[in-house]
Amino acid sequence: MLKKEQNDYVTQTGPGTPMGELFRCYWIPALLSEELPENDCPPVRVKLLSERLLAFRDSEGRLGLIDEFCAHRGVSLWFGRNEDCGLRCPYHGWKFDVTGQCVEVPSEPAESGYAKKIKLKSYPLIEKGGVLWTYMGDPAKQPAEPEFEFCTVPLNQTFSSKRLQENNWLQAMEGGIDSSHVSWLHRGDLSSDPLFKGAAGNKYNMADLAPVFEVVENDGGLLIGARRNAEDDQYYWRITPWVMPTYTGVPPRGDHPIHGHFWIPIDDHNCWAWSYDYHPTRPLTDGEVQAMRDGKGIHVKYVPGTYIPLANKTNDYLMNREAQKAGRTYSGIEGIGMQDASLQESMGPICDRTKENLVGTDNGVIMARHRLMRAAKALAEKGVIPPGVNPEHHKVRQAALLLKRDVHFKEGAKEALIAKKGVRQTSV
Amino acid sequence: MLSESARVTTAQEAAYRIQYPNSKRRAAKIIALDKTSAKIVDEVSRLPWNGASFFTSLSFSAKGSPGAEGGEALQAWLNDLAGHALNLVAEVASSDFVVVITAAGEDARAVSIIADACKLHNKTLVGLVVPRDGASEDAVSESLNHLRPYTRMLVVASGVDYVEAMLMALRA
Ligand code: FES
Ligand SMILES: [Fe+2]
Repeated sequence: MLKKEQNDYVTQTGPGTPMGELFRCYWIPALLSEELPENDCPPVRVKLLSERLLAFRDSEGRLGLIDEFCAHRGVSLWFGRNEDCGLRCPYHGWKFDVTGQCVEVPSEPAESGYAKKIKLKSYPLIEKGGVLWTYMGDPAKQPAEPEFEFCTVPLNQTFSSKRLQENNWLQAMEGGIDSSHVSWLHRGDLSSDPLFKGAAGNKYNMADLAPVFEVVENDGGLLIGARRNAEDDQYYWRITPWVMPTYTGVPPRGDHPIHGHFWIPIDDHNCWAWSYDYHPTRPLTDGEVQAMRDGKGIHVKYVPGTYIPLANKTNDYLMNREAQKAGRTYSGIEGIGMQDASLQESMGPICDRTKENLVGTDNGVIMARHRLMRAAKALAEKGVIPPGVNPEHHKVRQAALLLKRDVHFKEGAKEALIAKKGVRQTSV
Repeated sequence: MLSESARVTTAQEAAYRIQYPNSKRRAAKIIALDKTSAKIVDEVSRLPWNGASFFTSLSFSAKGSPGAEGGEALQAWLNDLAGHALNLVAEVASSDFVVVITAAGEDARAVSIIADACKLHNKTLVGLVVPRDGASEDAVSESLNHLRPYTRMLVVASGVDYVEAMLMALRA
């Protein structure tokens, strides 16, 4: 459990809040590249960390993320005309460039310099790995670009998607490091999902439904190891890295692409659940990409034309009691992503952690909260740059492997846990 | 018509969650396995807790020692901060879960005796390894090896602040 003040502290990410300041130390995924597909395409409304912004790509391909509202009389620039290297407000024709600088105030003589005095707040927007990333903190402290492996491999080796999740980011992220739910909630999908099935390691999952856990700190966050018994005096380890504040990696299965998530706050009641899938050494096959587009694995099917899951709270997530009873799905909800999201949304917009009863196996979640609060405090009080800002911390890989029983997984899997260019993932 | 799920997941509906307690107090037993971790247990025990008991050392009757094959039942005692010696098996029997703490590289073999008692009464054993000044990764590995066969959850903690945070999170 957390005390009420702690729960508020760790869930609120608006401007000026301690966790909000923490998030503003990092590059975070803002949009998919496909949302701004070409120069002068329509602008896109983006809300991040409780700030309403507008993203656009200008005539020369420059990317901008600016205050959504016109500096003149507050119209949403979403209605704007994206033309001639700027976004023009349709109300009275004021025009802004990708940095938010006003470049034209038609009612004032150009020579007056009036436009120069008008500037909307803007944040940098960069494209990497099919994702547009932003940094919303102090420009003087802007860190080096993100180096997560999924965004540095060639584009034909990687696929990312996002979906709207209508609850606070933290309860969603906690699901990503809570390895103990996998044997329950997702047990129906191991043998049937095209992006999971057939891995040699799956047999250990099936044979041992009560894994034992080890949690250790890592430079950028945590490593959570789940071990199960295997042959010959060995354990089958599945190792989940968490990089602060919100990146997690799902341990791989066989030669399937490897995947994981970010949970990025939209506001305190909503977040974007980002899902990446990549292979370190080979292009994704057409079949794999098709399966990802079709919402298999950790991805979801959408309401057409949106990033809203097709199964969502307005249709009770397409609950299928018959499949639940028959055990085809454990919760009655189809698909790993929505199995998680449906339950996490059911907790309410912000989970009331004063009422929870945690057990020893929840130590991954306990430690993640502890590290987040500790880092936010150190940042607020002493300006300490939090773990996970340094791109070296991003170069961690999830792993699944067999180790002798007396080996510390962090040592035994040392090489496997490093993302190395041209080296295949360590997986069973 | 709004679906039931859409309606009940609003912030407004969250206010109607009923405010009755959903759990009873649980008895946690926190046991230091060595002198360094005893200092931590001593420090942490001074905070207000919900019925957790803290023990800074174990002692054994003359008949056996940790790890030895006890012919006669080996008697083990837990020593609390007030200087009382309490029977290990009885303490474990009356607990809801047990936490053992060891400092990296210290002798943690006493865990096997505690684990036996936990097994006898079907109690979960959680292990914490805390750093010690100058302890190497090898020392951490060694401690983990001592605890691994017996614990459901094994954590390398950052220090005394984590021991505190974890026990609070568990409502100890
Ligand atoms: S069993 Fe974990 S939330 Fe209900
Ligand atoms: Fe899940």
